Amino acid sequence: MGEEEKAEEKPEEKEKFTLHFPNENNLAIIAVIAGVIVSILPVLPAFVKGIGAILVILWGADSVRKTARYGLGTGVPSIGVLAMGYGIVGGVTGIVIGSVPALGGGGIVEPGVLVGVAAVGVVGYISGILANNEKFIGMKIPGLERGMAELGMAGALAVIIESSMIAGTWNAAVVIPEIIENGLIALIFILAAFGMLQPYNSCLGADERRGRTLLVSVEIGGLNCIILGVLASLIQGMAQGVPLIALGAITWVLFYSAYVRACLNEAHSVVGTGLIKTMR
Amino acid sequence: MVFAWTMVVIVLAFIACLFEDLESDEGSQSNPNSQVQLAPEMGYIHRYYNKAISGEGLSYALACTIAGTVAWAMLSKGITPVIAIPFGAGIGSLVHMIRATIPHLGRESAHKRFEQPIYLDVLFGHLVPIATHNFMAVVCITAIAYIQSPSGPLAAITGLPVAANNPFPLPLLCFIWGITVGAIGSSTGDIHYGTERLFQDRPFGEGRRVVYHGQICRYADCGIRTSKDVVAFCAKYGGPATGLTFGLIVLFENWRTLIGMMAGGLTGASLNPGVAAGVGIVIGLIIGAVLIVGNLYLVKWARKKFGPFVGE
Repeated sequence: MGEEEKAEEKPEEKEKFTLHFPNENNLAIIAVIAGVIVSILPVLPAFVKGIGAILVILWGADSVRKTARYGLGTGVPSIGVLAMGYGIVGGVTGIVIGSVPALGGGGIVEPGVLVGVAAVGVVGYISGILANNEKFIGMKIPGLERGMAELGMAGALAVIIESSMIAGTWNAAVVIPEIIENGLIALIFILAAFGMLQPYNSCLGADERRGRTLLVSVEIGGLNCIILGVLASLIQGMAQGVPLIALGAITWVLFYSAYVRACLNEAHSVVGTGLIKTMR
Repeated sequence: MVFAWTMVVIVLAFIACLFEDLESDEGSQSNPNSQVQLAPEMGYIHRYYNKAISGEGLSYALACTIAGTVAWAMLSKGITPVIAIPFGAGIGSLVHMIRATIPHLGRESAHKRFEQPIYLDVLFGHLVPIATHNFMAVVCITAIAYIQSPSGPLAAITGLPVAANNPFPLPLLCFIWGITVGAIGSSTGDIHYGTERLFQDRPFGEGRRVVYHGQICRYADCGIRTSKDVVAFCAKYGGPATGLTFGLIVLFENWRTLIGMMAGGLTGASLNPGVAAGVGIVIGLIIGAVLIVGNLYLVKWARKKFGPFVGE
């Protein structure tokens, strides 16, 4: 538990415009540890799962940035949707496999769900090889294999954690009627996909900065927590939902204002109104 | 009765896609956004709104799914649809408006080295039009999804075969319809905006050469153009044409399916799914063939009347 709280509070303490996010490798390690802890312990309260979900989505956004930085341009949203496509497959696989009692389903610690996460990581890595290898598609994007594996794993973890945030557990006997048959899986898909795809798509440009881009991801994570918190209080009751809504609201306000101030500070100039510069 | 509800769905689809296209023009979303994004890099400082949330399909999927989920939650608490659907659409539009503030700030501040300033009047002046146009589209889409959903009025009509009722719940239908309305708005409406406004000083029909990329029109009929001027222009032709496209797609698709179901018998001994599917497919093929021939004739006529084009 220590890791995600440290990473959650670290940016908030500094609060200024230069937030120091951990570098790409450290962020991945922190997010994996937090995501794994939160997903194998479905008994945790919903707002702790919310912190895990924010970190996992942040990791996914960083992977999208890493993958799409080499000139994908209009393909950025597609990469985020691809991640969540992997995520739905891996997440539902993990939920079904993890619910088998022989693999710990129904106990306090339920590690079986990680089978789906690992499987989709392998599938992502293979698809990265297929896309990059000259014998197949030959896109030659540096780091695509790692990026695809990370995207798949982040997507699967996001689906599992967000499902258990709404339903209180990811056990298949609960998730299939409460999440999938109700259609809430579409909401989980699009909310997590936006946390991954929008930051880099909305901030790309010549002077894009990683610290500023990732603020958007945390901000979307906070917004997601508010929406999921409303659903959690409908399905599980106020005791689970209200802390989650509070976490989401605080995160959203802090990071949205930090992002707006960062943009206004780093733009060429901010004017109330004005004419445009005439041709060179 | 089924035909009447189908007509309601078609009219709602028309209105939804009309406003969807105008809303995307409001902030140069989707395809024309690449030119708005490129303009400062070419030295063309502009006052357009840069609304690169994502593709239109995905951003409408977000707004519509949130609207559908909120409406679904309120309906499950016994609240009447007349209140639940607009309330859900309002929440969806609010989230959409919040999302729309992010890209303008992010992308314009990423243009620092090209000396593109952030104009605060452009930022604040576009937010309410974005939210209101988005609300019109999202409320229509949520209403369509409610009509079709298992708890909606279409499912309550007795005498229909089970196949006429779909198993999809309200949030999932909103998701599918949101992606669809965004995709149609993106593919149809953007062309009018891109060619007629961003490149209105270039000859029509020649395609955009790479040397022109980023060299967009920045001046309006009077003063400097913002995205709001574009909407007023596109509301006369581009928006209604886009709405008509989506409405016709929904009309033809549902009409051929319904005629097929009538031919195959609805219930009882006369029910024959094979005939129903076969008649529907044949009518669909006929409609497709007529549309292809008509479009070919239209393109030929337009090229003869307005051509020859530069470079042909």
